[in-house]
Amino acid sequence: MGDAAVPQSYYGRPVVKPHVWKPYIPWYFWIGGTAGAAAVQCVAARARGEHRLATVYKRTALAGVIIAPPLLIADLGVPLRFLNMLRVFKPTSPMSVGSWILTAFGGAVAASTAAEVLGWERTSRGLEVLAALFGPPLTVYTAVLLADTATPVWHAAYDDLPHVFAASGIAGAAAMGAMFAPYEESRMARRLMTLGAIALPLGSRVMQKRLGPLLAEPYRVGEGGSFRRMSGMLALAGAALSIAGGRNAAVTKVAAACVAAAGVFERFAVLAAGKQSAQDPKYTVQPQRERLAAHSG
Amino acid sequence: MELFDATNAAAEAATYDAAQPRKGFFTDTTLCIGCKACEVACKEWNQLPSDGYDFTAQSYDNTGELNGTTWRHVAFVEQLGAGRSEAAAAPHRDAVIGSVAGRWLMESDVCKHCTHAACLDVCPTGALIRTEFGTVVVQQDVCNGCGYCVPACPFGVIDKREDTDGHAGKCTLCYDRLKDGETPACAKACPTQSIQYGDLDELRTRADARLEQVRANGQFHDASLYLRGEDDGIGGAGAFFLLLDRPEVYGLPPDPVDTTRDLPKMWRAAARTALAIVGVTAVAALVTRR
Repeated sequence: MGDAAVPQSYYGRPVVKPHVWKPYIPWYFWIGGTAGAAAVQCVAARARGEHRLATVYKRTALAGVIIAPPLLIADLGVPLRFLNMLRVFKPTSPMSVGSWILTAFGGAVAASTAAEVLGWERTSRGLEVLAALFGPPLTVYTAVLLADTATPVWHAAYDDLPHVFAASGIAGAAAMGAMFAPYEESRMARRLMTLGAIALPLGSRVMQKRLGPLLAEPYRVGEGGSFRRMSGMLALAGAALSIAGGRNAAVTKVAAACVAAAGVFERFAVLAAGKQSAQDPKYTVQPQRERLAAHSG
Repeated sequence: MELFDATNAAAEAATYDAAQPRKGFFTDTTLCIGCKACEVACKEWNQLPSDGYDFTAQSYDNTGELNGTTWRHVAFVEQLGAGRSEAAAAPHRDAVIGSVAGRWLMESDVCKHCTHAACLDVCPTGALIRTEFGTVVVQQDVCNGCGYCVPACPFGVIDKREDTDGHAGKCTLCYDRLKDGETPACAKACPTQSIQYGDLDELRTRADARLEQVRANGQFHDASLYLRGEDDGIGGAGAFFLLLDRPEVYGLPPDPVDTTRDLPKMWRAAARTALAIVGVTAVAALVTRR
């Protein structure tokens, strides 16, 4: 009866539950990812002697660690129990590991800023390096967090999701540098921004390709598709503006806004596509059926 | 792989001072009459609120799914005419419903209390624990409602409770009753012994015999035990089932996996990417003119 091709279901109801996170979470993913990459670019700018650019990155990271916790707390069912996140350290829970990464990163950024205010320059710079160590983990752990679920398009993409999040983080941080640093000091930021803006849709495309026709569908249709297309268009517009009009400070700022927005839309696309893939049981059942057939065949 | 083995909480539970034989449910769907007494008994005992009066217009199932406040759910599968699965066809068991040939399948679904429980693995607060009975329970006063367990469960069982403060809720296998040596409310209320409670080892033996019996009777050629073994993606379940059709027909996943199994691979992929962020930034810093 060919029922392997047409997956059966219980009145079309989902097998797995879609995630229940509010839009605070994709915003957090973008802000945390941007802050993490900004800490790395801060140290790079410092090494190049571009201190005004480094300061922009440092303020970006600081803004991130100030905004991120309230977003996370607002999403909790029981916000007053947010400190329970630090009740244990659980290597099997990417959210537990991530909470500790965010805590360490936030501590380093805050301490570095405090040292800067007190005029302890060497301490401040040392703590910037410490923040830069925790930055990349902060940017990519959220990809592991999503991948370690039964949500079909997230788990199947565990190799590729970190690339997408890293590209978005690099692009977002660089966009802040290009936007707020003096033009003559932002050459590195502009270059990283263009690179990230090209890598973001490319990474997303590679991820969809490797997900295969069925599981790539949630990135083509519905809200997931709309957000993904918005992200792609904004990223490419940002890259094009940056390459073609990069000599003009005003055009660069427009490009930076496009690239930053592309990263936000990409995070919303991933969350929306995940929800869609959980809501339709075919995305859960069909790959599992194929897996079983491959094992027994 | 070590990470996964180390988190085999069922093995950890056996190290408790008060360790008991692992307890579980065997749900024999050949005996279920779809009365929903289990749903009601569960709600009563666990003081769970009503889900309202939704009318699904799909079957006699108006509950729909397991969620934060529904810990037993009786699935009601109506296989009439072309809608039925030929793979499971057993002609002499056909009923006549109205004038249409077909059959009804009922199954009381519940949390599977997995050996490798994804909800427990991903819980960042330690609110989800393994009990001395080998079951998986949410500590309501520890859970902060982060919602991570919800998409992590390969069966779509656990959910956030919107009726209270938003913490996660699911079947506890009546942890409080077990502590007093009582049978869980659903199994107690089941009038046909479709829901059987006991030591998991014993239930498995009983289920094997029952499967042989129904097959020997020639009634249900396609009957199978679901989650009976320990070699699946969740390392075996505390609650397993005798089904008459494919799992997905009942809304169950055919090959469930605790994705934490792949966590070391996931972290390696992420670590490579994290290094790439440093690498790309360093190269940009080095090759860009000042």
